[in-house]
Amino acid sequence: MAIFRDGLFFWGEMMNSEKLKETLSEALAEARVAPDIEGLEHVRIKYLGRKGLLPGVMKGLGGLPPAERGEMGKLANRLKTELGGLLDQRREELESGAMGNVSFDFTLPGAWHAAGTRHPIARVIEDAAAIFARLGFTVAQGPDVETAYRNFEALNTPDYHPSLDEQDTFWLESGDLLRTQTSPVQIRVMESTQPPIRVITPGRCYRRDTTDATHSASFHQIEGLYVDTRVSLADLKATMGYFAREMMGPGVGVRFRPHFFPFTEPSVECDFSCHVCAGKGCRVCKFSGWIEIAGAGMVDPRVFKKVGYDPTAVTGFAFGMGVERIAMVKYGIPDIRMLYDNDIRFLKQFA
Amino acid sequence: MKIPISWLKDYVEITETPEELADLLTFSGTEVEAIETVGSEYEGVVVGKVREVSPHPNADRLRLCRVFNGKEELPVVCGADNVAPGVKAPFAGVGTVLPNGMVLKRARIRGEESLGMLCAEDELGLSHDHAGILLLDPALEAGTPLVEVLGPPEIVFNLEVTWNRSDCLSVIGMAREIAALTGRPLTIPEVTVTETGPDVASFVRVSIDSEDVCPRYTARVLQGIKLGPSPLWMQRRLSLCGVRAINNIVDITNYVMLESGHPLHAFDYQLLQGGQIVVRTAVPGESMATLDEAERELDVASLVVADETKPVALAGIMGGAGSEIQESTQHVLLESASFAPAGIHRTSTRLGLTTESSHRFERGVNIETVDWAGNRAAALMSELADATIAKGMVDEYPGRAERKRVYLSFQHTTDLLGVAIAGREITDILRRLQFPVVAEDEEGCTVEVPGFRHDIYIEADLIEEIARMYGFDRVPDARILCAVSPDAFDLPFQAETACRTVLTGLGLSEAVNYSFISAQLIDLFMPDGEASRVVLPNPVSSDQSVMRPSLIPQMVDVLGRNLSRQVREAAMFELGKIFERDASGTITEHKRLCLGLLGPVGRHPQDKRRDVDAEEMFRWLKGILEALLRSQHVLNEELTSYDAVMFESGTGVEIRVGDRVLGCMGLVDRKLGSEWRMQEPVAVAELDFEILTGGALERVDIEAIPMYPAVSRDVAMVVSSEVSHRQIEAVIRESAPPELTGLELFDIFASEGMGDGCKSLAYSLEFRSAERSLTDEDANGYQEAVKEALRAKLDAEIRDK
Ligand SMILES: [Zn+2]
Repeated sequence: MAIFRDGLFFWGEMMNSEKLKETLSEALAEARVAPDIEGLEHVRIKYLGRKGLLPGVMKGLGGLPPAERGEMGKLANRLKTELGGLLDQRREELESGAMGNVSFDFTLPGAWHAAGTRHPIARVIEDAAAIFARLGFTVAQGPDVETAYRNFEALNTPDYHPSLDEQDTFWLESGDLLRTQTSPVQIRVMESTQPPIRVITPGRCYRRDTTDATHSASFHQIEGLYVDTRVSLADLKATMGYFAREMMGPGVGVRFRPHFFPFTEPSVECDFSCHVCAGKGCRVCKFSGWIEIAGAGMVDPRVFKKVGYDPTAVTGFAFGMGVERIAMVKYGIPDIRMLYDNDIRFLKQFA
Repeated sequence: MKIPISWLKDYVEITETPEELADLLTFSGTEVEAIETVGSEYEGVVVGKVREVSPHPNADRLRLCRVFNGKEELPVVCGADNVAPGVKAPFAGVGTVLPNGMVLKRARIRGEESLGMLCAEDELGLSHDHAGILLLDPALEAGTPLVEVLGPPEIVFNLEVTWNRSDCLSVIGMAREIAALTGRPLTIPEVTVTETGPDVASFVRVSIDSEDVCPRYTARVLQGIKLGPSPLWMQRRLSLCGVRAINNIVDITNYVMLESGHPLHAFDYQLLQGGQIVVRTAVPGESMATLDEAERELDVASLVVADETKPVALAGIMGGAGSEIQESTQHVLLESASFAPAGIHRTSTRLGLTTESSHRFERGVNIETVDWAGNRAAALMSELADATIAKGMVDEYPGRAERKRVYLSFQHTTDLLGVAIAGREITDILRRLQFPVVAEDEEGCTVEVPGFRHDIYIEADLIEEIARMYGFDRVPDARILCAVSPDAFDLPFQAETACRTVLTGLGLSEAVNYSFISAQLIDLFMPDGEASRVVLPNPVSSDQSVMRPSLIPQMVDVLGRNLSRQVREAAMFELGKIFERDASGTITEHKRLCLGLLGPVGRHPQDKRRDVDAEEMFRWLKGILEALLRSQHVLNEELTSYDAVMFESGTGVEIRVGDRVLGCMGLVDRKLGSEWRMQEPVAVAELDFEILTGGALERVDIEAIPMYPAVSRDVAMVVSSEVSHRQIEAVIRESAPPELTGLELFDIFASEGMGDGCKSLAYSLEFRSAERSLTDEDANGYQEAVKEALRAKLDAEIRDK
């Protein structure tokens, strides 16, 4: 585009009012036949765009004789309003037409695959790991095949404790065994790390139980360990209380009953108040208002000695609970075998 | 363990209700599992005297009795074998409601009038025994209300005593707990032994081979015993504790065991040879018959009580049949001893023989009161069986030792429990628990551990005592500390979570199977790997006898089981461990990820009816696999053909990453699948989880978003069906310039027009330069080069539009 003193040139032609009128009708025709929004946009850019015809004309008006200037100005304004109006109108038509022309049955089913589901056992483990992560616990794992030392002796189990019995433990030919608890992982962590320690150890365990509605020869546990200077039973209580509320629901409380475990002293059994009946008594809690969930206690100083810690310098707490038990209580699963049956219609419910 | 509350009251005052008492015990460490009520008021039941018995004219098994109820004589028809003239038994008259709910009515039984009933134990709710009528002490007066004879209804606690608290395995032990909890005194009966017989040394000598296995053995001899039933009150207490009454001598040993926790044994003195008791281990080849009439093979570690020639008891577990108390017994040797727990446990486990006695010995008895228990039983035998007690007690006590002393710091107690407890309260608790406080100052105290406690060695053990007596409910919740954990151990766990998220997002659901599997199932899939299998020496059942060497067999089993339940399609995964044994016997375990597909899982919802064909099934699984691998930053896997029994021939593939084997995938062998009636193809894959996720933490190198436009060209060709997609891809990549940024197969088909053994493939090629806009001429040139190479190298016939 170039503007000369003696006239307004545009697209290589001299522009006068005749030409401009012609151009206007061409532009309107183009706008009318543009097949789609893209085509319409081309028309807009060609005539009204920043480098289009209209701004050029407007800029050139100043160089025209005053007589022509008025008419050309009017024409340019017409071009702007008429063409602009038409473009807007067409655009609206095209846009509404784009949807209006197509019709389909939106009640037809969607056509994307459904999401799969985590197994309830994995779900409980992952949820617990996330809850304890907020308290600064990380996850440690260890082998299923363990030494008798780590599974029993290092945990202060006396050598004639009932749990050592042939009939309760899967012994292997090598003299090793299938861990009966995940506590040996805690021993591994303590053997390789100095306090402070804060871990949970989820994993599979094995006991020679005959399978029935509540027993399974292989099952999962989550155990936890916290070792530092001046860890107390009050910390354990607070930690279990936090876990109980986060896992089972805001109103759930915790109570401790004294018990016996070789590796903790004092030892307690930890009951959660029933999340179903809020402690009033129902079938889930066998009408007691409480559900036995975990065993816990303060780590026995003899265990610290075994792993080379100074029992006068550190204290700690440990706890353990059955994953299947939590899953059954939380989701109302009546039989532990359902968890290992892997019926897809059962699993799909854990979305 | 069962204990009636009334028995506890012999030793400690109890003012609490049964429920209050149960809570007190449960929250101090001995859980009351159940509170039972045994017996009743027996309204309308009295002592009846059977005056006459005659046969029933119309029934062989029934008798006609004349029973005196204290007021009148009534006709009663009775079917019990033990009814006889002169006996006394509970009698329920017409109108009585028995504890078992039965209402007695005036009746005619086979034509004979019956105005009441003589009762058996079950009818009175005493037990399930219906062997005969309950025979009562003949000295009782007819008409005495039965409740006066049997005593009022009893509340019985069923207690769960934890393994460490052997001191609670007795009535006195539990009374001691209650005394400690309530602060009331504990009263233990004074025992007075009146010795009127000859010196015990003239009857028996005792020798102990090793004090390690038997630290104390006492014996008393009782002469001239009068064997008979024990008194009703004693029988009743035994029965409430779940122990069967036998005769006065045996009942007394059991009674004292329940009372004090000391298992006792009574031998028929005349059946012991040589006037000698030897506590020793068995000699090779020795065996003995125990009271339960089993012949027991003894090993050389079994501890026995022997006479001069032979074992007469399995020490601390069960007596021998050869020296049992019987009708003919005149003199009794009464054993009260302490045997070491480990040995008792070992032998009891080896023989699979657990008794009330072994249960207590393997947890530890109070060595200090072994003599008390012997004396208590002797005094009762003198009183209840007319025994003459020989003078003195043989008391071999090689294991005599000082009591342990343990120091307790008050500060440590407060620190460990997280609650401040005053020193005075601590020593008070310890004294109530009968730990003598031998030294005490501001900081702490030293206590002696009494002989009945086998669980107190160190300070922490005492702190537990303080905690359970103080009350866990009084320990406050601390403010939760929130320090960051110093080291993360959990990258593998995070990888599991990440893979679960990807796989569930891809539509797969998670399965969890047992780690055990049957040998038969493995044989079907991996018949060759027998040597590397980890076989359990002591499985629960044969279908759970091997540690799984692969996750695939159970995955197929799960899919098959779902299919049999009319589930048409399933996409599943399992994350678990497999176990292998090497030649040296070392067991290794590896985390694996298994994938399994059944049915038209990858199809459009309205296209599920068609049969699934092998290729599409394989490609669905491959697609899942590729998505998973990319999510774990595995970009360059290589697939090679892989033959395995479990895969349908030609469909097995090994997946390698670099020089490592990531895993395998394929379609389940059709014959194998038919075990589960699978008619359509089923796809499975198993991947090594560590290799899969090992690179997941690698830094992602991002590429710049392209600045210049891309130019696309299509290349369509007909090639021999022998030529693989991978070969074509390779040729295209070789022949194209670096500007080739995209390559996609967008069409594949075979038709008759092409001729035999041919297929058509069409690829879309995308060219792009990082430096400039490519021109059409550029793109045409690249395309020509590719076409030329395909013609030359793969004999492709290029199809132009
Ligand atoms: Zn409830």
